[in-house]
Amino acid sequence: MSDDKKDVLIAAYLFEDLAQRDFDAVLQLAEDKAITVEGVVLVQKDVDGEVHVKETGDHLGRTGLKIGGGAGLVVGLLAPPLLAATAVGAAAGGVMAKFGKHRLETGIGEKMDDALPPGSGGVIAIYDSGGADAVDQALVNAVKKSVAQIDGMSAKELKAGLAEAQAGMGG
Amino acid sequence: MTLRARGYTVATSDSREPLAPRLDEGTRREPNHTTESERQVSDETSDRTKLPIRRPPFSGVAEQTLGGSQPDWEQIGHVRPPEGAPNVLVVLIDDAGFGNPGAFGGPIDTPNYDRIAGEGLRYTRFHVTAMCSPTRAALLTGRNHHAVGMGGIPEASSGFPGYSAQLPKDAAPFPKVLKENGYATAAIGKWHLTPEKEQGPAGPFDHWPNGWGFGYYWGFLAPEASQFDTMIAENQKFIGVQKGKDGEPFYFPEAMTDQAIDWLHGVRGHDSEKPWMLYYSTGCSHSPHHVSKQWSEKYKGRFDQGWDKLREETFERQQQLGVVPADAVLTPRDESMPAWDSLDENNRRVCARQMEVYAGYSENADHHVGRLLESIEAMGELDNTIIVWIWGDNGASLEGTPSGTFNEGTMLNGLPLTDQEQLQLTLKWGGVEAWGTEMMYPHYSSAWAWAGNTPFAWGKQVASHLGGTRNPLVVRCPSRITEPGGLRSQFTHVSDVGPTILDLVGIPQPTHVDGVGQQPMTGASFADSLADANAPEHHMQQYFENFGNRAMYKDGWWLSMRMPRIPWRLDPDVLKRFAPGVWKPDEDPVELYYLPDDFSQATNLAVSHPEKVKELQSLFWEEAEKYHVKPLLAGFAGFFGILPPIGAISTSTYHGVVQNIAPGAVPRIYNHSYTISADLHIPDGGAEGVIVAEASHLGGFSLFVQDGKLKHTYAFLGVFEYRQESKHELPSGDVNVQMLFKADAAKPATPGLVTLLVNGEPVGGGRMDHTVPFIFSGYAGMDVGLDNGLVVDRSYADKAPFAFTGTVKKVVFDVAPHLDDQDEHAMHEHASQSDIARGISG
Repeated sequence: MSDDKKDVLIAAYLFEDLAQRDFDAVLQLAEDKAITVEGVVLVQKDVDGEVHVKETGDHLGRTGLKIGGGAGLVVGLLAPPLLAATAVGAAAGGVMAKFGKHRLETGIGEKMDDALPPGSGGVIAIYDSGGADAVDQALVNAVKKSVAQIDGMSAKELKAGLAEAQAGMGG
Repeated sequence: MTLRARGYTVATSDSREPLAPRLDEGTRREPNHTTESERQVSDETSDRTKLPIRRPPFSGVAEQTLGGSQPDWEQIGHVRPPEGAPNVLVVLIDDAGFGNPGAFGGPIDTPNYDRIAGEGLRYTRFHVTAMCSPTRAALLTGRNHHAVGMGGIPEASSGFPGYSAQLPKDAAPFPKVLKENGYATAAIGKWHLTPEKEQGPAGPFDHWPNGWGFGYYWGFLAPEASQFDTMIAENQKFIGVQKGKDGEPFYFPEAMTDQAIDWLHGVRGHDSEKPWMLYYSTGCSHSPHHVSKQWSEKYKGRFDQGWDKLREETFERQQQLGVVPADAVLTPRDESMPAWDSLDENNRRVCARQMEVYAGYSENADHHVGRLLESIEAMGELDNTIIVWIWGDNGASLEGTPSGTFNEGTMLNGLPLTDQEQLQLTLKWGGVEAWGTEMMYPHYSSAWAWAGNTPFAWGKQVASHLGGTRNPLVVRCPSRITEPGGLRSQFTHVSDVGPTILDLVGIPQPTHVDGVGQQPMTGASFADSLADANAPEHHMQQYFENFGNRAMYKDGWWLSMRMPRIPWRLDPDVLKRFAPGVWKPDEDPVELYYLPDDFSQATNLAVSHPEKVKELQSLFWEEAEKYHVKPLLAGFAGFFGILPPIGAISTSTYHGVVQNIAPGAVPRIYNHSYTISADLHIPDGGAEGVIVAEASHLGGFSLFVQDGKLKHTYAFLGVFEYRQESKHELPSGDVNVQMLFKADAAKPATPGLVTLLVNGEPVGGGRMDHTVPFIFSGYAGMDVGLDNGLVVDRSYADKAPFAFTGTVKKVVFDVAPHLDDQDEHAMHEHASQSDIARGISG
């Protein structure tokens, strides 16, 4: 991972299946190596504002429900409490705090919250900025797209912290 | 002849038999069963053409004491209608089209409308005025809308007789005639005939429903209303937002039906014989399209084919039913409306949802009318009730813009939103699942309205075409109808309803009411067509005019003179073409149709019949002169700088808790610098709650105390929210708080700076980049001391109405005058335009 800034794109949807289509399209770009992706997550925010992760994708375009690596980075930035299920014991609190602090200090948390209103579906992707045009074109069904940024070093540290926590080493 | 009832003895005015007794011959007394005193009554007491009917002279004996005295019990009697006179139920659905209800081939399930059509008659060439208030005025008065001051809408009263919104004393509505003849009368539901400036405790009340002849009223006076937090008026008082029953949320269609049923039960409980007349006027199907999912889900997927295909399907059913002749032609889509296939997937799905909600909303209205009918049936009075049920006071509304809108207020305020922005704002307020809920104030795409007006072109506002003016009518009257389920094709008009009802119940049109000579009703009774499908037409000629769109009908010929303006466009670029001295109405394009051969207005004969065009153009101007239609566009006068006098008062003071201030009576803060100053008492330990609030999260403002701090929220039509708060908590004791808005300039939607002050010291503030130029809400009132109905700031929604826990002693609005007269005039002009914009949707 480079230290350059990366785009954090939040695409909001009126319809869950259209979000799924675009999620698949971004992963196809990753699989085709047309873009360099940290992670992609398909989420649904319910009417009470609670975020539900529907599917995740990694830098190779593989899908699943695993919240680790790049996908964990995305989820942690969006909704740190969701990491609790993937980290063990006391480590969970620590890593959530790190993500929470980053959200607050950079303002990325508020931006992500605003971008996904209750009742919406979302595709959130972190990728190298060079892939912005390709990603933008892939998200044809998004009603609204917002882009934030995260510097590479921060992303690296957050990912490392998450990995440690998930391995039960951190605290 | 003379008929007798329990009260005064009153004669009918002419030699015709009253039609009503045929409904119940068994109860009719022979005319020679009159008493001596009855035969002695004067002409004044036996003439129903002069109202009110005079109390008969005392015919008893009054000595110094009761000794030797004889009472005359007629003195405590009341006027009674002709014996056997039936009840009358008039049902009016709002903003709906010819091709909406199932009984007319539409896609909306309307089992109760179908039932009444099956037991009665469907009139397939019935016409309205293309606008809300004008149709209602014509319906209730039996006269042309301009002739009774309602050429426009009450929000835009203008200084011309045809547009004053002041019901003239020489045009008594037929409900008043019925009431003066001994009927119990009530109006329940939407009204929209009271000038906005008269909607308050100071009155006057002549133009409230009671003043129109209804003994009882319950409903809303506004052009439209949320169905979940409707601001209710009862008789001559706003009683505000009501609670639902049994712990359920309030829902207007249900509540108004309950009120109607309660009223009927009350009347019959009080008087076992007295006939009643009920005007039941729904808020449905007007925007906001509010209905629970229980009703909209039923239609899921039923509109995925889109409006183009829906029109074809509807047209086919209409021809199968016979409500449209077999040789009729389906008119094409105007280019102002998008082809369904041109929409992307998001828009197709959202639009389909819009129509699902509209259909569910409309079926729900039918359901509640059905409840009312069941109640009447349970009372044993259904067959003794004349039912007139009109599906739409004008054609379906095109005002949602082609994309449809999450908040109709954006259109009324002239806020241009792209299709994508509409989708984003739909997402913001809960997505498609929230379409139909209180979180939105939705209006469907104009193209759905066009489909609802199948097979015609155009819709609401467009008086030149049948899409705006031809609506379904069914009539049930078992004693007169010999062919239940039949169709009638006579040319009829909404102004015919009153004369027809009077004809059926055997009450003459009065020549004098309250000492004032009356304009003759221009509507014509179509009572003979109930029994005779081939009865001659009586309404041979009719002009149409609304906001410059015109038509002239005579003997089957219809000249369309459509002002080239799309109904959802009120922007200056469009309106400048119609400015005084610029617009030449007779140069508008014309279309000529011969309706007996061309049901849907599909074949324009203007080129081949220039003499007919000229004849009907001339006739239109003759009618315009006769009925005060001139000057055209008087209802738009405010757009062209022709304004009512500017009021000199710039402050409004509210002492204590004041609730339910009508939208038109809210201080004129739009586009102005202004201050709100409140004297409060904060008890030890602090207080919370609303100091003053207007409307809702979809447009409004609230000054409130929360977490000990003074806060101000300004909701810009659901698009943006601006919030300011004090840095510190309010002190206890007597406190003065202020919200000062300093406008950047005297211009519409001006940005500006908010400053919050406590005891004169600035404590917070912020900038507002946009302000609402016209009106926050079409229906919601302002409250001092609480926030009734939907709240402005959702952060206190769980505590609604968030009543202030301290004391609000006084709230003063000071609308600061602008720097020069020119600015003041500009803002005054804008305020007048806002009234028009608000009312035009009605």
